[in-house]
Amino acid sequence: MSKVTIKHSTKIKIGVAIKIIIGLIFISPIFIGLIFSFVPDEELYALPTVRTVVDNLTLRNYAKVFKTLPIFSYIKTSLVMCAIVIVVQITVSSLSAYAFAFFKFRGRNLLFTLVLIAMMVPGQVVTITNFLTIRRLGLLNTYLGLTIISFAGGRSLFMFRQSYMSLPREMKEAATVDGCSDLRYLWQFAIPLSLPSIASISIMLFIGEFNAYLWPLLVSRKPQMYTIQIGMAQMIGSDAIPTYGRMMAVAMLSLIIPIIVFLIGEDYLIAGMTRGAIKG
Amino acid sequence: MRAAKDVAVIRPLGKKRTTPLPYLLLIPTMVFLIAFTFYPLVNCIRLTFYATDQIGRPGAFVGLRIWKKVLTSDEFHRSIKNTLEYASCIGVGTFSLAMILAFMSTRAVKGSKVYQTMFALPIALASAPIAAIMTYIFSKYGIFNALTGGTTVWLSGKTLFPTVVFIVIWANCGSSFIYLLVGFRNVPIELLECADLDGAKPLTKFFKIYLPIASPQVFFVIFLNILSAFKSFAMIRILVGTDDSPLAVLILKLYNYAFVRERYETGCVYALILSLVIFLVSRIQFVVEKKVVYYQ
Repeated sequence: MSKVTIKHSTKIKIGVAIKIIIGLIFISPIFIGLIFSFVPDEELYALPTVRTVVDNLTLRNYAKVFKTLPIFSYIKTSLVMCAIVIVVQITVSSLSAYAFAFFKFRGRNLLFTLVLIAMMVPGQVVTITNFLTIRRLGLLNTYLGLTIISFAGGRSLFMFRQSYMSLPREMKEAATVDGCSDLRYLWQFAIPLSLPSIASISIMLFIGEFNAYLWPLLVSRKPQMYTIQIGMAQMIGSDAIPTYGRMMAVAMLSLIIPIIVFLIGEDYLIAGMTRGAIKG
Repeated sequence: MRAAKDVAVIRPLGKKRTTPLPYLLLIPTMVFLIAFTFYPLVNCIRLTFYATDQIGRPGAFVGLRIWKKVLTSDEFHRSIKNTLEYASCIGVGTFSLAMILAFMSTRAVKGSKVYQTMFALPIALASAPIAAIMTYIFSKYGIFNALTGGTTVWLSGKTLFPTVVFIVIWANCGSSFIYLLVGFRNVPIELLECADLDGAKPLTKFFKIYLPIASPQVFFVIFLNILSAFKSFAMIRILVGTDDSPLAVLILKLYNYAFVRERYETGCVYALILSLVIFLVSRIQFVVEKKVVYYQ
């Protein structure tokens, strides 16, 4: 009997090892980018061999990139943009979701339907006219212009509403009897008890905003306001002779933060993605 | 409507109260939704009836002329064809790859978190750096040619379409993997043990147990990928950009018309057609879902 179990468990271990190897192959593009960010551009104009890589490892690409491009300014713009969207959208959604979860009022169903319809409108479709509005308001190249279209979010409102409705009803009733006002209940109970949802929303918003491309491409016209993604994209195909080594270096610099956030917040991200997305 | 029914089921707390508080709480959301979702949508429709100037102000009323011009043009028909081809390739490819990865990870054992994280990792990666790495890997002197001994410039000519599709599938499949994994993990252990006792083969278990139980997720993922292919812009714009390739999809047309040529009204027509396509596919999803998906 014990022999069988041992055999079984070695089989599982071998399975896990094989799957980890498959996983490494799956994410190998990241490692390839990392390795070649340490190989000088000039070496990459011929088919690379193991020798090319081993003999030439250098930090020169990074040095050149930091010297010629305002990488830190790009990253700062991206981070500030993320911070604004996360703080504002969470504030706005947590308040509005409270109205839907705890109050009965005239027009409630209508307003809720409006939110649902808004969620069905694809963002790309309103991009043109939103861009015209932002330009007319003189908000190109500003943080407000970069973020204002993401201040309200149907998805985060939904997640807050779901989180509030999962709180025991008796708790609110007891609090009301004890003279706790609605706003105080929101602040002292509903929001603190929704921290897991807040974590999920924040991580989803962070990865979405940090990696956003279309809207920052339209709004950030000056290099001082480029986000890291725009800075990265500008490098691709812009030179007649591509500087692959430096491109890899910038790619690594733009991947590192979201990868770290993903590894730390993976569980919250997955919870956020799967909660309420699918019935059943 | 389903939405209205949803609301009716929820019994809000307490009695009907007459405080203005809920309205105050809803003001910010409603203001931003109106300003940046509903107003631009209406404005988008309105602009298609006017000749707009360079800064997008409507000029002379032209009725349905722009619609007619777009709908009868060859490039529009080609872009619809391109979009459907692209979306079906991405849909099938991403779904198949995510299926394989998820089926490999059905069992949670010691160490499984490691490869799960690796399979899901592309979720966190932005299009621009992926495009940068991939342009190198698939360039003339890139890794792919070094490994296969070829000299093809993959991101051009005939190989452009399959290469871009391959890259996007890789970049997209993380979230599908997660959804399918959730579905597969819903399968009760007892059921699998029974199947094992009866000597069921892995493929039998896959088709007779995993697939039916995970059918809500499987269904969701198929449509998720088709819909996100319609909206996926960054990778195509960075890797392709131009209007005259098999990847000149609707969203690229929208961008090039509105923001490169500053023909906002034509861009708006493309935007509305894109949203119509998305809407139709979501309706199909809704209708088909009721018929084929099995809920526990």
